[in-house]
Amino acid sequence: MSSESPSDPPLLRVEDLYKRYGDEEVLNGVSFDMDAQDVQVLVGPSGSGKSTLLRCVNRLTEFEGGRIALDGTPTDEMDENDLRRQVGMVFQDFNLFAHLTAKRNVMLGLRRVRGHSKEEAEARALEELEQVGLGDQADSYPAELSGGQQQRVGIARALAMDPKLMLFDEPTSALDPELIGEVLGVMRDLADQGMTMLCVTHEMGFARQVATDIMFLEGGHLVEHGPPEQLFENPRHERTAQFLDRLTSLHGGDHG
Amino acid sequence: MPCPVPVPGGLSADWRYVFENACYLGDGLAVTLALTAASLVVGFAAGLPAGVAEVYGRQSDSAPVRWVGRAVRNAGVVLRGTPIVVIIMLAYFSFGISPAFLAATAALGFRSAAYQTQIFRGAIESVGAGQMEAARSVGMSKYQSIRHVVLPQALRRSVPGFQNEVTIVLKDTSIAFAIGLAELLTKSYDLFQSVGHTTAIFELILVVSAAYFVLTFAANRSLEALNEAVSVPGGERG
Ligand SMILES: Nc1ncnc2c1ncn2[C@@H]1O[C@H](COP(=O)(O)OP(=O)(O)OP(=O)(O)O)[C@@H](O)[C@H]1O
Ligand SMILES: [Mg+2]
Repeated sequence: MSSESPSDPPLLRVEDLYKRYGDEEVLNGVSFDMDAQDVQVLVGPSGSGKSTLLRCVNRLTEFEGGRIALDGTPTDEMDENDLRRQVGMVFQDFNLFAHLTAKRNVMLGLRRVRGHSKEEAEARALEELEQVGLGDQADSYPAELSGGQQQRVGIARALAMDPKLMLFDEPTSALDPELIGEVLGVMRDLADQGMTMLCVTHEMGFARQVATDIMFLEGGHLVEHGPPEQLFENPRHERTAQFLDRLTSLHGGDHG
Repeated sequence: MPCPVPVPGGLSADWRYVFENACYLGDGLAVTLALTAASLVVGFAAGLPAGVAEVYGRQSDSAPVRWVGRAVRNAGVVLRGTPIVVIIMLAYFSFGISPAFLAATAALGFRSAAYQTQIFRGAIESVGAGQMEAARSVGMSKYQSIRHVVLPQALRRSVPGFQNEVTIVLKDTSIAFAIGLAELLTKSYDLFQSVGHTTAIFELILVVSAAYFVLTFAANRSLEALNEAVSVPGGERG
């Protein structure tokens, strides 16, 4: 972590977060901080609450207990649309607006949320698509793009809102193996440019090379949290070692 | 009334009678078309918001919105469960809506709204939840998300169902016969009921059926073309 001065609030503070669905306790007192420019990778077994945690951060899901603050402001005191403008989200199955071209996917938020004129929005959208290597696909519809291209449009759409924090929920899990690299490459570039990122991913190559921290979530508990070297080489918990070993053998490939 | 349609020679007396009254029937046809269009417009104007209210009213946090959703649903159940002849007679004779064209438009329009509500509800529900989540995630309000993301996709998916509805409304305009509105069927009825011409009933009904068929066929073709024109390149996923 790279906090500048102790008085600065962290960019994201998650404090004692509790979330249940019916009788099922999905998050059981999760706490962690992220500083600006941190890249935190969140891993854990299926059903451990990873997606739920991300969705609590941008309030797609409401939670019963705990606090989340963005730049020192509790998110429940913010307008939810304003919060979401500042927190970009990238989905496992892309969720591009199916009736709009790549360019218009990126333009929609610029027009409707940020109030850009059509010309401003178009210029910015093309810039963002260039950034993810899709300048030549601006007029393609989602169904005309490969999964990897769709996901890069999804990233461009989120970046166009100038977010302080980007959430990635298994951005490469729906992709054919040969398309994973191009998406991880874009994420790596983003990290290099200093974007603050909270990523659920099983790509251990990416985690080792890019993450400032890895968090291991199991049964709604944050079992272990630390820099990659610590979790990969000297995990405090046997469960962490087992889980990371298994992930590395499944997803250790150096796609990025 | 002078009629510009020339009557071909060598016809039977009954066919000659049909041709001599072509413009009389044509006026009926115009009423049929106007009634179809007006009813569909009323049906769309009421059915689209009602479809939105049915889907989103249910999930709303606000009690009045939920109440509107429920009211819309119940009104639809009643309208879909009542024969159209009963609705049109209620509109004209019981509620005293006049002229007859207005009563027929109200009856056919609200009945169509009840069916169009279901077309739009189904189409909205078929748009994946991920579309709404993605829209909300960039900071769009619920209203903006519905307006700019869900509805444009749902409306495209509604065209085949709407096509079906157009043909039903078109044919059901003949129900206005029950309140004496001078649409196509009523006009033909008047013709074969006039003294000395009852033998022309077959010819008249044949012509009227052919007119409905041609209109239905043309409407279907136009809407298929519309469906083609609004479809998203590469198809839609998500
Ligand atoms: N909308 C919901 N309603 C009810 N239960 C839910 C809902 N969303 C998630 N859950 C439950 O919460 C638990 C955690 O789900 P979550 O999606 O956060 O897990 P995850 O760690 O992201 O898993 P995966 O790796 O499979 O994506 C699961 O048991 C799931 O069944
Ligand atoms: Mg998940």
